[in-house]
Amino acid sequence: MAPPKGGYAPTLDKFLDTLKGRPLEASIESLVSLLKRRQIQGSEPCALATAHILLQVVVMDKYTDVNQLLARIQGVARRLVAAQPRELVIGNIVRRVLGLIRDEALENRNEVGSDESISSPSMFNLLADPDTTPPMWSTGASPAPGSGVSTPMADPQSTDVKALRSEVIDGIEEIMDEIRQVDEQVQAYSDIIIHPGDYILVHQPCKTVQRFLTRSKRKCTVFLVVDPSAEDPYASFRKSMAATGSVVVNIMNTGLMAYMSRVNKVILSARAIMSTGGVLVDGGASVIARAARELGRTVIVIGGVYKLSPDNQIDQETATEWGNPSKCVNYSDGRMVRQVTVKTAVSEYVPAELVSTYITNLGAHSRDHLHAIVNDHYKEADSEFDLYGTIRK
Amino acid sequence: MSSKGAKAGASGKAKKPTKPGAEDKREDVLQAVIIADSFQTRFRPFTLEKPRCLLPLANTPLLEYTLEFLAMNGVQEVFIYASSFQEQIESYIRQSRWTPIARSCPFSTVDFIRVSDARSIGDFLRDLDKRGLIESDFILVHGDLVSNISLDGALAAHRARKEANRDSIMTMVLREGGEDEHRAKVNGISPVFAVDPQAKRCLHYEEMNPLQSDHHVELDSDMLKQPELEIRADLIDAQIDICTPDVLALWSESFDYELPRANYLHGVLKDYELNGKMIHTEIVSDGYAARATNFQMYEAIGRDVLDGWTHPFTPDSNLIKKHTYQLRDNNVYREDEVTINDGCDISNAALGQDTAVGLESSIENSIIGRNCKIGKGVVIKDSIIWEDVTIDDYAVVEHSIIAEFSTVGKNSQVSSGCLLGSGVVVGDGIAVAKSSIISVLSAMGTSATPNTELLGPRGKGTLFIDPDIEDMGEDDPERLQLSLGYSLEGYELYASSVSTLASGDEEVLSDDEARDTVRSGRTTSFASDDSSTAGASNFVTEAVLGLLEVLRGESGDFDSEKLEFTSLRLANDASDSAVRRAVATALVRRAVELINAESGGMETSKAAKCVLTERKGAKEFVSEVGVGGDSVPEQVDFILAVQRACVSISRVIEVQKAGALCSALFQQMYSEDILEEEGILKWWEDARAKEGGEAMEQVREKCKALVDWLEEAEEEDSDEESDED
Repeated sequence: MAPPKGGYAPTLDKFLDTLKGRPLEASIESLVSLLKRRQIQGSEPCALATAHILLQVVVMDKYTDVNQLLARIQGVARRLVAAQPRELVIGNIVRRVLGLIRDEALENRNEVGSDESISSPSMFNLLADPDTTPPMWSTGASPAPGSGVSTPMADPQSTDVKALRSEVIDGIEEIMDEIRQVDEQVQAYSDIIIHPGDYILVHQPCKTVQRFLTRSKRKCTVFLVVDPSAEDPYASFRKSMAATGSVVVNIMNTGLMAYMSRVNKVILSARAIMSTGGVLVDGGASVIARAARELGRTVIVIGGVYKLSPDNQIDQETATEWGNPSKCVNYSDGRMVRQVTVKTAVSEYVPAELVSTYITNLGAHSRDHLHAIVNDHYKEADSEFDLYGTIRK
Repeated sequence: MSSKGAKAGASGKAKKPTKPGAEDKREDVLQAVIIADSFQTRFRPFTLEKPRCLLPLANTPLLEYTLEFLAMNGVQEVFIYASSFQEQIESYIRQSRWTPIARSCPFSTVDFIRVSDARSIGDFLRDLDKRGLIESDFILVHGDLVSNISLDGALAAHRARKEANRDSIMTMVLREGGEDEHRAKVNGISPVFAVDPQAKRCLHYEEMNPLQSDHHVELDSDMLKQPELEIRADLIDAQIDICTPDVLALWSESFDYELPRANYLHGVLKDYELNGKMIHTEIVSDGYAARATNFQMYEAIGRDVLDGWTHPFTPDSNLIKKHTYQLRDNNVYREDEVTINDGCDISNAALGQDTAVGLESSIENSIIGRNCKIGKGVVIKDSIIWEDVTIDDYAVVEHSIIAEFSTVGKNSQVSSGCLLGSGVVVGDGIAVAKSSIISVLSAMGTSATPNTELLGPRGKGTLFIDPDIEDMGEDDPERLQLSLGYSLEGYELYASSVSTLASGDEEVLSDDEARDTVRSGRTTSFASDDSSTAGASNFVTEAVLGLLEVLRGESGDFDSEKLEFTSLRLANDASDSAVRRAVATALVRRAVELINAESGGMETSKAAKCVLTERKGAKEFVSEVGVGGDSVPEQVDFILAVQRACVSISRVIEVQKAGALCSALFQQMYSEDILEEEGILKWWEDARAKEGGEAMEQVREKCKALVDWLEEAEEEDSDEESDED
C-alpha cells in the first residue's frame, strides 16, 4: 500500500537495486539518463555507479575473448562519459577497469603460456613499449593510438574467458571497496595535518573532509564556507566538532578575505585531481584557493586515489560545469530572469600552483609525486584512450 | 485506511482492462496522464501539420520535456491522450527512446488512448474515467509542459492528506512567480487562487484578463470566516496536478466542463457544499515549471532553457540521442559539425548540427535548428529558427519564428513578431511587415496561392488568415494569446475599483495592475478631452460603472443613482464636462452591450431606444444630470460628449456602426425631448465636432441625415409659419 521509500524519484540506491533483475542494455540506458538528469551526481556516487555498471557488463555480457570485452567496456564508457563529460571520475574508473582486464589477461596468458601464437606477440612486445602496446594485441595490426579498436584474437579459449571473468569481477569489487574505504583511510592522516589551535577554512566539505576533521580530536577553529541558499547539511558535522571542543564558524564567500588572514590551512575537497596537480573542485572553491595563495596560506586538497585522473587536457573551460542559476537567483524574480543571464558553476578548476599538498587514502603527496601514482594505477594505453570524442573539440 | 472505499470502487471498475493479479502491487506504481491535445488553434499556422507537443523548443520537441519530467519523478505508466494528429504523436513515440520496446524507456508502459470525437480536455478525462485504467493517484500533465520540479514532496503531502480525509482529491503544484512581471507568467490571463495557507486548501479560483470590464474577484462571504486567507495572483500555474481517481468521477458528473482550470477547478470549488471535495495546492519556490500555451510562452520557455533555468533539461544535457550540444563561450550551445565563419558575433544562442553561419553574421538570443544555412552578414536577433532553414546574405531577422524548410532571400528583412510557416519562401530584397503571419497553407489545410506581390517573384506562401480569429470579438481575451509579442495597444481597457476585500500584498499587486490599465485606458479613450485630470478620470470610470449597473437593471434605480452620482461628483470635485462625459459614456457603452449581446444583438436604433426607455427614470436622469439645463450650449456640450464616447467605442465596434449609433441616440433623445433641434444644429456647426481625428469626422458624417432632416423640418416649420402669415 505504501509508496516506495524516499519517494518515487529514481536515485543511485534504487538504480543499484534494479541492476540484477534487468537486462544489461536497459541498465546502461537507465544509468545514462540518470547521469544526464543529474539524478546521480558527485564524484563518489558517479564512481560507484560506473563500477557497478561495468561489473554488470563483465558479468552479463557475452564475449569470447578479452579484446571483445575491452571494446565493449570502451563502448559503454563513451556513453557514460558523454552523459556527464565533466565528471572525470567516470573516466577514471573506466580506465582502472580496463587496466585491470589487461593485467588479468596478461597473467592468464603467462600461466597458460606455452602456445606459440601467444609467445610471438610477447616477443614483439619486448621490443615495443609495453604500455602502449598491450600484450594481448596480436602482431601486424597496429591499432590507431587511442582508438581502442583492436583486432580480435584468433581462437580464444573459453576457460580463459571464464577465469578472466571471475578475476575481473574480483578486481572491480576491490575497486568498489577502495572507493568505500576512502573516508576511513584518509582520516588516518588527520593528526599529521591538524594541530591544536589551528584555524582551518573548508569549503562545502564533502563527507571525506568532514570525517577528516572530526577524526582529529584536537581543538581547532573551523571556518565553514557554505552555500547561503541551500539548507544546512552540516548539522551533524557541527555537533561532532563541538564534541571535541572545536568551534565551527559559518562564513559566506563574500567575507572570505577578512577571515583569510586568520586562517592557517585551507582544506578543499577534490572532485578530481589531475596528474599535473590541477584540481577539479566545487564551484566557489577556486576563489578560496586563490585568496589563500595570495596570503601564502597552505592549501590542502583531499580526495581518494580514485579521483586521481590521468586526463591532462583539462583547463578552466573544459572543467567548468554550469548548473542551475536558481542557486543564486530565485526564478520568481521576474526582472532578473528577463534581463540577466545568471551562471552558476557546479565545478571549477584550481591550477596546480595554488595547491600545496594532496592527501589521498595512500597518504600525503607533493605535486611531483602525483605522476607516479597515476602511472601506478593506469596503463598508458588506457590513459591515452580517447573517451571524449567530439566533446572536447 | 480511510481511502479504501474509493479504491475498491475504482479497482472494481478497472477489472476488465487490466491484467489479472496486477492489482495488489499497483499502489507503488506511479501513473501519469499526458493530455497531448490542446483543442486550441493558437499555434497556427505551425500546428496545421503538426501537433503542438511536437513543436521544437530549443530544438527538442516539447513532448520530450514532458516525458523527461515524468521519468525524472519516477512515473512508470504513461497514458497519452490525443485526438488530432494522434498518429503523428504515436509514430514519434514509437521511433523515439520512449517506446516501451526500447530498452531505454524508463516507463513500463506507454499507452495511447484515442478518442475520436473528443472536443475538449473534459471529454478526454471523462473517457479516462470510463476506461478505469487509473486505480490510484496519478499525475495529470499537458504535452507542452517543461518542468524540473521534483514531485516527491507534493506526492507525499498529497498522500498524507488523502489518508487523513478521503475527500482531498487533488493537489495542484504551483510555482511562485514573484510579484513583478515575469516572462513565464501567461500574459493576458491572471489566474487568481484563494488559498488557506495553513491547510494549503484552495478555496476559490478565477481567471482574470485585462479586457474584462470589472477588475475584481467576488469571494463567497463564508470564505472570510477562514482565520487566514491568501489571495494569490502571483503563481505560475503549469497545470501539474496530482489526482485521485475521484477527480475523474467528478469530471464525469459534470458533462459540460471543458477546461481543467476555468471550468473544472472553478466549478468544483464553487460547488463544495454539493460535492464536498477538497482541492489543495502545493506552492513550490524551487524548480521550474511552465507550459508553452501560446507563442509568448513558447518564446519565454525557449529563453529559460538557454539561460539554464530548466537545468538539467538544457541543450547540453543532450536528452535526445544523437544530440551533441556543448556549451561554449558567450552562452552558445553548439552541436558538432557547426561551421562558423570568421567575424561572426554569436551570443546566447543554440546552433544545431550541420548549420553553417557565413562571414560576419551576428546571432543574438536565438535558437537555430539543424542543417540551417545562414549567409554572410546576416543579423538574427531574438528569433527561433527551426531545421533546414536558409537565411540568405545580408538578411535581417528580428524577433520572429521561422519554421522548417523556409527561406529568407538576400537583403530581406523579417520584422518583429513575424511567423513564417514551414516551406515559406521570402524573395530577395523583401521587407516583411511587422507581425505578419505567412504560411503556404490556408486555415483549411489546403495550399494557398503564393502571394508574389508580398513575397517577391520566387516567393511561396501568403498571409495567413485564421477564420476563427476573424470571428472572435474585438475584445475577446483570447486575442491576447495569439501574437508573438504581447501588447494591450489598441484594446479598450476598462477600469474599476478593486475588490472590496482589499488587504494584503496580493491585493496591492492587483491594485497596481488596475491602475496601469486605468492609465492606458485614459490615454486611449479620452485623449481628446483636455480636462482629464486624475480625479476627474477616476470619477468618470467609477460613475460609468455605477450607471452601467443601473442601466443594465442589476442594481438600484435612477432615483438612488442620482443621489449617489451627485455625491460621487462632489467627492471628486468633478466638472460639468466630466459629468457629461460619464453619462454619455455609460449610455453608449450600454447601447453597444445591447448591440453585441450574445442572445441576439439589437439594431442600432432599437438599442438606442432601449437604452433610454428600458429603465424607468433613465430619460429624466439623462436630461437632468447629463444635459443639466435647457440652454443650447449645455446641450451642445452633451452632444459632443456622446459623439466622443461613440468615437472611443469605435475601438470595439466599427466606426461606421459607432456613427450610426451616435445618430440613433441623437434621434432618440430628440424624440424624447432631451435634446432640442437647435442644440443638434448648433453642434453640427460647432468646430469642436470636427476636431480630434478622422473617427470624429466619420461619426459626425453619419449624423448628416438626421441633421438634414432636422433642417428640413425647421424650414417646413418656418414655411408653415410663413404660410399662416
